[in-house]
Amino acid sequence: MTKTIKIEELTRVEGHGGIEVTLDGDKVKDVKFNVFEGPRFFESLIKTVHYEKIPDITRRICAICTASHSLASIGAIENAFKVKPTPQTNTLRDLLIHGETIESHALHVYMLALPDFLGFPDAFSMASEHLDAVKMALNLKKAGNQIHNTLSGREVHGMNERVGGFSKVPSQQELLDIRTSMEEVMPVAELAVKLLADVVPPKHNVSENLLLALDSGERFGYMGDHILTSAGERVHETEYEKLTNEQVIKHSYAKFSNYKGKTFMVGALPRLHLNGDKLEGKAYELYKQHKELIDRNNTISNNFCQAIELVHDVERCIMDVDELLSNGLDDEDLVEFDVYESRGINAIEAPRGILYHDYSFDDQGRITKANIITPTAQNAANIEKDVRVIAGNLSGSSDETIKHAIEVMARAYDPCISCSVHLTRLK
Amino acid sequence: MTKPRLGIFSLTGCAGDQLQILNMEDELLNLVARFHIVDFQEGSSHKESGPIDIAFVEGSVSTETDLRHLKEIRERSSVLIAFGNCATDGCVQAMRNGETTLAQRLKDVYGVEPDYYDALESKPIREYVKVDFSIPGCPVEKDEVVKAITSLLHGDSPLGYSYPVCVECKLHEYPCVIVEDNKPCLGPVVRAGCEARCPGLGLDCIGCRGPVEDGSNFAAELQMLLDKGYTEEFIMNRLRIFSGELPEDFLGGAK
Repeated sequence: MTKTIKIEELTRVEGHGGIEVTLDGDKVKDVKFNVFEGPRFFESLIKTVHYEKIPDITRRICAICTASHSLASIGAIENAFKVKPTPQTNTLRDLLIHGETIESHALHVYMLALPDFLGFPDAFSMASEHLDAVKMALNLKKAGNQIHNTLSGREVHGMNERVGGFSKVPSQQELLDIRTSMEEVMPVAELAVKLLADVVPPKHNVSENLLLALDSGERFGYMGDHILTSAGERVHETEYEKLTNEQVIKHSYAKFSNYKGKTFMVGALPRLHLNGDKLEGKAYELYKQHKELIDRNNTISNNFCQAIELVHDVERCIMDVDELLSNGLDDEDLVEFDVYESRGINAIEAPRGILYHDYSFDDQGRITKANIITPTAQNAANIEKDVRVIAGNLSGSSDETIKHAIEVMARAYDPCISCSVHLTRLK
Repeated sequence: MTKPRLGIFSLTGCAGDQLQILNMEDELLNLVARFHIVDFQEGSSHKESGPIDIAFVEGSVSTETDLRHLKEIRERSSVLIAFGNCATDGCVQAMRNGETTLAQRLKDVYGVEPDYYDALESKPIREYVKVDFSIPGCPVEKDEVVKAITSLLHGDSPLGYSYPVCVECKLHEYPCVIVEDNKPCLGPVVRAGCEARCPGLGLDCIGCRGPVEDGSNFAAELQMLLDKGYTEEFIMNRLRIFSGELPEDFLGGAK
């Protein structure tokens, strides 16, 4: 007998998507991750726009990872015109991307994922029994947003980070305030690790995963220009199309990716699997202590990996502030450069995984062609693979059990569906 | 007193306006306690059917699914608020409306024919349903949201801003980026309420709060940018970012 189990709309995720699975007895016939968030056509909209305002438009692809989009966009423009940012700019950008990851992971780990494991429909009702934890989580999120506010100009869709540097360099006092907040929220980041270390992730979705993450260099982080795969390859960002192979899918405004015919995952789990040994300080200690919880074949362990990253992020922000202050803040101007016909590609680790921006410009610095590939678009096919595995393993269970298992798994990817819907090439 | 039934909904967009509610870290738990929340997709798995006293709708109508959803929300709601620039003006996904066609965009980005998906030309929600109030911005300003919610809880209408960004810029005594740096600032024609964030950072306003209702500066703004040597294409691209569906006279003379 054939039946279809349908999750109309995933909740506690960013954007609009649903999941459908068709079972014939205990055999999984069909699986669909429906992305019905409407199309937004960014690659088409920005055609003819002068490079200077491109990051202001493309950052609006996503609210939660707005700075990741703006930094990927700025990086692609700088690569196109061979702009070399100053060391101070690089450290400020490192601080910004780590602050964004705090804000994003705090929201996901505490407010979106944890209610599943503690048995609540949301963080608001969770607050009735765990008020202190919810308040602490909001403070952690706020500390991440403080970095957005200080460096970018506001929490969502800021404007201060520009091609060639920062329009206004933050003051010493503002950076010291960030440092103070980071010290205050460190215990909250550590609590996230403790809470999730006590949760035994379900095993019904365990299956072979191919993982992709940027090579972060000597230290763990979210910048780099090569992509590492768990199959042992290392690919330069300019050759990203070999890795992503996008296809148009009828049931989704997100294009689906595969590498050599296999689905793959990007995000915190791939980052820790491929770069975890480069972690420093407390984050490294916690990573060593709990290494068995980082299971490359169980995507639900992505939640735990985000918690480890929260500890790393808070420590790194303190290190970045110390570095900026010990070098002495310089109220430097944006780097000047010439524009010419060119193409620039940049990859960055957004909170949910690798993000690519790829632009071509004419000799006036106007966009002629663009391609943007977001982490959730890359993960979409892997999510379908996991749905197939769960439905197969739980085929004898009730529809409600299967649905719940699928939702918990999908949420662990921290999908950003708004992001996923406008990715691909302008022909 | 029974708590007002509140719904927070989103159509197509970046979900940044809902996120601004979650970003009110200090007020969030108090705020949530004032309402009976019947729908908040990004924040909760709890959903209820039935009437809604106040509905916040973010996002623009970009698919048949969005449109059906919007009409259902309107039928259930006493007060419907357009929440953020996508809902009030169409935002970036509407920036090429009237310039390229939906069919061209589908071909460009997905390489498919128009009937492949249920996509619609992206429109602000007032094109399809009655809107009781608007809270503009990309994203909405948290202070303005708190003020609007406070007004609504007291049975008042939220107040908007009737003057342009320039007024707030002058009150802050920021140097004028048009006069000092020749930057193509849209401050004279864009609705205030942001405390002139961009000029405060030495940047030109890009118009994320939409055009101010009083259009008396529109023609002069356009002439000034042309006089400064900006090309018509450059100016149009700048004006269009947040204004795919704006009053004719905003884009007026440049056409």
